[in-house]
Amino acid sequence: MSWEVRTMRSKTSYFNRTLFLKNLTRFWPLWGGATFIGILLPLAMLTRLLRQDSHLGVETALDMTEVYYSTLCAAVPFVCLLYGALCALAVWSYLYSARSVGLMHTLPVRREGLFVTNFLSGLTMLLIPFAVTGALCVLISAAFGLFEPVGLLVTILGVLGESFFYFSSATLAAFITGNVFAMPALYLLLHFLEAVLDLLLSSFAAGFIFGLSSQYTGVLEFLSPTVYLVRNVMPSLEYREVTNYAGEHIRNELVSARVENVWIIAVYALAGVVLLAFAFTLYRRRQSERAGEVVAVGWMRPFFRFGLAGLAALLGGQLIYSLFWDDGYCKAVPMAVCMLVAGTIGYYAASMLLARTLRVFQKSWKGLALVAAGIVIVCGCLRLDVFRVADRVPEISQVRAVEFYVDNNTYTFYPGEEDALLERVRAVHAAIAADRDYIQAFDGDNPTNPTALADQEVSWTRAYPSFTYITNGGQRVCRTYRVPLTRERLGQSDTYDGLLNDLLNSQEMRLKRLHASGDSLRPTGGSIYLNRRSEGHDLSDREAAAILEAVTRDALAGRWGQVDWLDSQGRRSGGTYAMDLNLEFRAEVQQRDLVSRDWIDIRVRPEMTATTACLLELGLVTNEDLVTRAELYPEEYRSSAAADPAPAETVYPETTFETVVVGVAG
Amino acid sequence: MIEVNGLVKRFDGFTALDGTSVTVPAGSVYGLVGPNGAGKSTLIRHLTGIYRQDAGAVRIGGEDVWENAGLKARVGVIPDDWYYFSQSTIRDMCRFYRGLYPGFSMERYERLKEVFAIDERRAIRRLSKGMQKQAAFWLVLSCMPDYLVLDEPVDGLDPVMRRQVWSLVMGDVSQRGTTVLVSSHNLRELEDVCDHVGIMDRGRVLLERSLAQLQDNMVKLQVVFQDGVTEVPEDLPVLHVSKTGRIHTLIMRMNAEEATAKLAAYSPLLVDAVPLTLEEIFIYELGGADYAVKDIVL
Repeated sequence: MSWEVRTMRSKTSYFNRTLFLKNLTRFWPLWGGATFIGILLPLAMLTRLLRQDSHLGVETALDMTEVYYSTLCAAVPFVCLLYGALCALAVWSYLYSARSVGLMHTLPVRREGLFVTNFLSGLTMLLIPFAVTGALCVLISAAFGLFEPVGLLVTILGVLGESFFYFSSATLAAFITGNVFAMPALYLLLHFLEAVLDLLLSSFAAGFIFGLSSQYTGVLEFLSPTVYLVRNVMPSLEYREVTNYAGEHIRNELVSARVENVWIIAVYALAGVVLLAFAFTLYRRRQSERAGEVVAVGWMRPFFRFGLAGLAALLGGQLIYSLFWDDGYCKAVPMAVCMLVAGTIGYYAASMLLARTLRVFQKSWKGLALVAAGIVIVCGCLRLDVFRVADRVPEISQVRAVEFYVDNNTYTFYPGEEDALLERVRAVHAAIAADRDYIQAFDGDNPTNPTALADQEVSWTRAYPSFTYITNGGQRVCRTYRVPLTRERLGQSDTYDGLLNDLLNSQEMRLKRLHASGDSLRPTGGSIYLNRRSEGHDLSDREAAAILEAVTRDALAGRWGQVDWLDSQGRRSGGTYAMDLNLEFRAEVQQRDLVSRDWIDIRVRPEMTATTACLLELGLVTNEDLVTRAELYPEEYRSSAAADPAPAETVYPETTFETVVVGVAG
Repeated sequence: MIEVNGLVKRFDGFTALDGTSVTVPAGSVYGLVGPNGAGKSTLIRHLTGIYRQDAGAVRIGGEDVWENAGLKARVGVIPDDWYYFSQSTIRDMCRFYRGLYPGFSMERYERLKEVFAIDERRAIRRLSKGMQKQAAFWLVLSCMPDYLVLDEPVDGLDPVMRRQVWSLVMGDVSQRGTTVLVSSHNLRELEDVCDHVGIMDRGRVLLERSLAQLQDNMVKLQVVFQDGVTEVPEDLPVLHVSKTGRIHTLIMRMNAEEATAKLAAYSPLLVDAVPLTLEEIFIYELGGADYAVKDIVL
């Protein structure tokens, strides 16, 4: 050991080796523990490879790449989110105590040096587990001939990018706050604030504005990086079906693997540079005496105070309101009162945290008055719908696609292709918007849906149409309604009831329901279940295409597709064959914001001759299977059949499109 | 030389330092005294580069302290509540200081091992408060600082160790010309080591002199007036008066000769000048600043 006096490295050094090593040695349990957890994965893989475990599914180098990509897309964002925060908390923890900040700032190292050194040591701690785990994976894959460099490189770059971004954002959070408990809270809030606000604001605004959807919009989703990364950066895998000499399916073989939207990680990494620069600026201006305070940056304190008040008002206000009222649309005054109560709690909680005392009531009443005024203005504006949001029905020229969802079916329209049909959809929307008072009054009088005994008919029912307009600028305009349909109005073509009924029972819409009129969804499979035999069978894409073609012929001949709104109980289904036929669709070309998958349940009736013949020809059913539900379950259908024999060629609810999935890849 | 001019520091509207000015001559030991909350620790945090001033200048050896790594490498600091890494031993902290302070002397560290008989492999958090203070001295003195800034440095040390520590500090002052600024409430002890004193109150330095000047500027006189004179004449400029029997004890802000001459006009039977302790100077100076010892009956 040298006992000579050492010379100082540099007065303006941006890196201090001693401090760097000290951080690594001080916090070894953190990165050591993470590394231990990380290496369990390659070790598990190794033992399963040695055992030749077929469930592992890693047989080729491409399979290994799939493992990398799946990990990168599904696991790394969450690992970086949580473990990055822990690393940041470790290296920046000195900022949160007057004693430790005193030591660090008396050291002969400039703030720049402290910042860079601590940042690098934290990032190193974050990357060590990834590096060790990755290195072991590479060694194992190489030993088993599964090494694939491109996938590995993409994964390494992805991990580096995400690690850098998450650690930079955690560093920024560390410099905004001065308290060890506030830092992780702020960090998580920053990462999910957009998503939380989106949900809260959507639900709040939908409570006031007729037709406004309460669903998450995701307009600014990129501000919630974890949500955005997980929803947009995903592996895209292509498989080839391997069959035996008889053409029977043996297995699916992966033929290509890539990561969709991997560039988003690079953009976030660049954003990380900006966050880091901001954090450094805050550090240069940071006052050491702020150690222990919830918000260490003076000018951010009003944002915290009023932000917490606003968040509490939105969340707490809606919760309190829902305890006392559960009607569809909000009453403005009670909602404002509930928000004021919750906002007051949030405002004073923030004030107490900032002042670190409970005695804040005298000095901060002016701010509370501002919060109250804000709540009154917001509730008033929404109640009066000053921006006429409820009446907005975008013009065809303003949109590039429209999705219309009703009666469990989704219909997609593109301007320029089906303008006449699209205009009819808009007409339905405009009619519903114009009948707001009638609909709300009807809802008030009839809060629950009608129920009917087996031998009775309902005189009205409810429909839940939804209109989604994708504007030329990419904005989504969504409206969702809960509207009554009455027998009387269904026959009046100037009401929304009549317009909707005429639209859905048109030949064009029947074909659209089957995705047989030129959209990008194609049948990819499905299933059939025969009640008589209690047996099911999965359909191949060829079988599904053949059945779809037959159903389409029946639809064109008027034997399928009629919608009977008032048969919501399905009483007439006794006349359908006792089988469940389901077809699945998938988009050939995936379009952002539009459905990429769909499926339909088809009720097969005896008069659907083309479909019946197709099922027989494919060998999916025998003549013995072609019994109706009423024949198979006579007890169940006896009364309804007597009360309401099915008309020969009228209204039958035959099809249902189920859940709409947007943005699912692969 | 340590120079602080017109230093101002505010915390959320509260003015902790209100134009503080301090001058510590090179090679001197400067005692900073003042009541609790006077701003001594705040001043020290400026001198050590922890706090950034709102106004004024803080210089050591003619250089600004703020973000001056080269200067800070020559400044040793022992705060009232010394921080160490929670799992560290003295040896670990030695490596840390050695890597950061270019002047760190392992030779001195080894020699001081004999003075501070502490197991250097024991976790510092397991040491008593006094031993932790010794560890701080051990490490900081091993850095061979040109400037030492000490905040309540011997608080928690036993009397023997106090003497030992002061001996080491005074040795550095005499041999290496180290400049020392020490803040303490132990005025008796400061009196023994300081050659300059500054008295702070409410964020300002009320007076700043060498100890000799300070003692020369104020005098305590025991006086017995002639028969019939029971009270101290009103025209005498006294800071404080007390009376025991016929003996009046007067504190006057002037030297002994001047005070004796002024009293001569009243032909006292006895005049005896007694030197003031630093504690008395502190009390009487601050008494003028509304910080006198109050006779409170509980």
